[in-house]
Amino acid sequence: MEKRLIKKDALAGIAKKMAGDFLVWAPVKKEDNILFEPLQKDAEPFFAYLNSKNAPKNVFFPHTETLIKYTRTEKGMVFSEDENKAKDAVLFGVRSCDAHSFALLDMLFDQEKYKDGYYIAKRQKTTVISLACVKPPYASCFCTSVDGEPVSSEGADILLTDIGSDYLVEFVTPKGEKLTKYFGDTKADAASETRKTEIVAKAKDAIKSKIPAHEVKPILDKNFDNPFWATIHGKCLACGTCTYLCPTCHCFDISDEVKGSDGVRLRSWDSCMFPMFTKETSGHNPRTSQKERWRQRTMHKFKYYVDNFNAIACVGCGRCVMSCPVNIDIRKIVEDISKL
Amino acid sequence: MQNPYIPYPVVVDKIITEVDTKDIKTFRFKFINPEDEAKYNYIPGQFGELSIYGKGESPIGIASSPTKKGYVEFTVQKAGVVTSALHEMEEGEVMGLRGPFGNSWPLEFLEGKNIVIVGGGFAFTTLRSLINYMIHDDNRKRFCNITVIYGARNPGLLLYKDELDEWGKRTDLNLNVTVDKGDANWKGREGFVPTVCKEVAPSKENAVTVICGPPVMIRFTLPVFFELGFSKENIITSLEMRMKCGIGKCGRCNVGSKYVCKDGPVFSLAELDKLTPEY
Ligand SMILES: Cc1cc2nc3c(=O)[nH]c(=O)nc-3n(C[C@H](O)[C@H](O)[C@H](O)COP(=O)(O)OP(=O)(O)OC[C@H]3O[C@@H](n4cnc5c(N)ncnc54)[C@H](O)[C@@H]3O)c2cc1C
Ligand code: SF4
Ligand code: SF4
Ligand code: FES
Repeated sequence: MEKRLIKKDALAGIAKKMAGDFLVWAPVKKEDNILFEPLQKDAEPFFAYLNSKNAPKNVFFPHTETLIKYTRTEKGMVFSEDENKAKDAVLFGVRSCDAHSFALLDMLFDQEKYKDGYYIAKRQKTTVISLACVKPPYASCFCTSVDGEPVSSEGADILLTDIGSDYLVEFVTPKGEKLTKYFGDTKADAASETRKTEIVAKAKDAIKSKIPAHEVKPILDKNFDNPFWATIHGKCLACGTCTYLCPTCHCFDISDEVKGSDGVRLRSWDSCMFPMFTKETSGHNPRTSQKERWRQRTMHKFKYYVDNFNAIACVGCGRCVMSCPVNIDIRKIVEDISKL
Repeated sequence: MQNPYIPYPVVVDKIITEVDTKDIKTFRFKFINPEDEAKYNYIPGQFGELSIYGKGESPIGIASSPTKKGYVEFTVQKAGVVTSALHEMEEGEVMGLRGPFGNSWPLEFLEGKNIVIVGGGFAFTTLRSLINYMIHDDNRKRFCNITVIYGARNPGLLLYKDELDEWGKRTDLNLNVTVDKGDANWKGREGFVPTVCKEVAPSKENAVTVICGPPVMIRFTLPVFFELGFSKENIITSLEMRMKCGIGKCGRCNVGSKYVCKDGPVFSLAELDKLTPEY
């Protein structure tokens, strides 16, 4: 694996240089939020961030995306697909947990039988550069409980690790290696690798929040009807914040919009927390209250995804924990389930 | 590779109003591009997404049999936005069709067995596809006795009336049509589907029941088949959930770990027992 060293203050310059050549998604400051957005000319990326407010999943799975366009003509409806227009891009500086989420989303969108060309096209064209968490940013981070690590190359093409005065740059995949030219020509020495090994261990140690994420699977298998499910949702507002911010939540709606003789078919994020999500035209709704919806959310992450893909659909980023307006904490839920 | 979100363009070739209340129609579509018909290679029990630009899409079971070439049919009840727009369509208009999606009636499993088909109301559509498939000259020998029990609330609500007449004349199919309540012209059977099932009392020997209908019908019919000795492995049904993508991505239609659009809609009762009872 190719490894180099760059000076720490060189990072923003590299991102800006890349932005001259292709689309670069980078963390930027917007009011008091940090968001992953296309880096505009003259804009400053902000790499001293903890984590972004939004999960960077929107790079591959935008909040709203056109599936097809259509026009009414004399000959009837003519439509064109909007797929495969993905541009060469770099997603610069995502946290390890968020890069891990891409590996999880790939399992769903890039399956054997049905492939989601919209997602896959963007994924293939985008190089992911992870910025490891040498100091885990929040007390609510629990990546180590869900098969992650604060310094990890899972889901990344290039991994950047802050080793003091420099970043150690590791080109993890062939796709990442194509970008070596942006990272100077200082080869990493043995000392810097030793330093990284120490940092990895320390960072892992610093994650204090732990949940029994694997242990609950057999319990969930047997406890669909447990009275416990009635105890979670009491305060839930069904606002959907937890699912919108979650890097692994992928549910969407499909809807049509028409203006004059032109129209589009869009997909947009949806949420299993919304009462309408499963409501059928007849009025029948298989999930009649927030209790069933919270059970679905928990089951989906810690049982159904494991059944289908042998992976937990949570990367431990803690966004849902930090942003839920009524402080519902998925860590506590998993903890409680482990005691059922 | 075919983009599964893009509908095939189809033309509305024929519209048949099925019922007196006029809110259930059968739509026959022809593919505008002949090569699309070959790609739309379906099996009875699968469904399609009917796509009307500007309105949206609806998942609808395929009502025709793949043994009928040149077209594909869907029987649709007028319900909300898309199905109402569909009911406004006229012959010759162009719209879209996605699919075919889902698993299907388990044809291989049914082969060499006595088949009991139980249908109620307008959920009869994919059963009709299965019946027409099984009684086709190429296939009839692959199945043993075929018994059909089909009920509607009143004679005006029976679907596919011409076909029912034809099936009734066949000697290789035991057809039992019933209505909850007949009218002055009705000469057939009266009675609810569960009662008729009890009367017909199909043998469990080497037999499989395929059942589709409104929840109340299913609820009262299943005990009849349990009493007749049918095992849960040998009772097959089809589920309905709200759907969007049809390909297991949008996360809307799961029952436990299974997506009804992709892993279903057809399940045996034994399989359903293993899933969460959330549908
Ligand atoms: C596998 C399957 C087979 C079906 N087969 C038939 C059939 O043969 N004939 C028939 O008349 N109906 C069938 N339905 C039900 C039919 O899909 C709904 O009645 C229809 O989608 C209502 O759409 P709408 O736009 O008119 O209603 P609206 O309420 O205006 O639209 C809501 C949207 O939500 C979705 N939706 C709403 N209800 C349902 C539902 N029950 N099932 C699935 N998606 C839903 C659709 O995307 C729909 O466009 C089937 C449903 C499924 C899942
Ligand atoms: S469930 Fe919560 S902690 Fe887990 S990945 Fe989603 S937002 Fe992060
Ligand atoms: S963020 Fe909190 S209140 Fe909002 S839907 Fe999620 S659990 Fe409910
Ligand atoms: S309809 Fe989208 S997952 Fe089944």
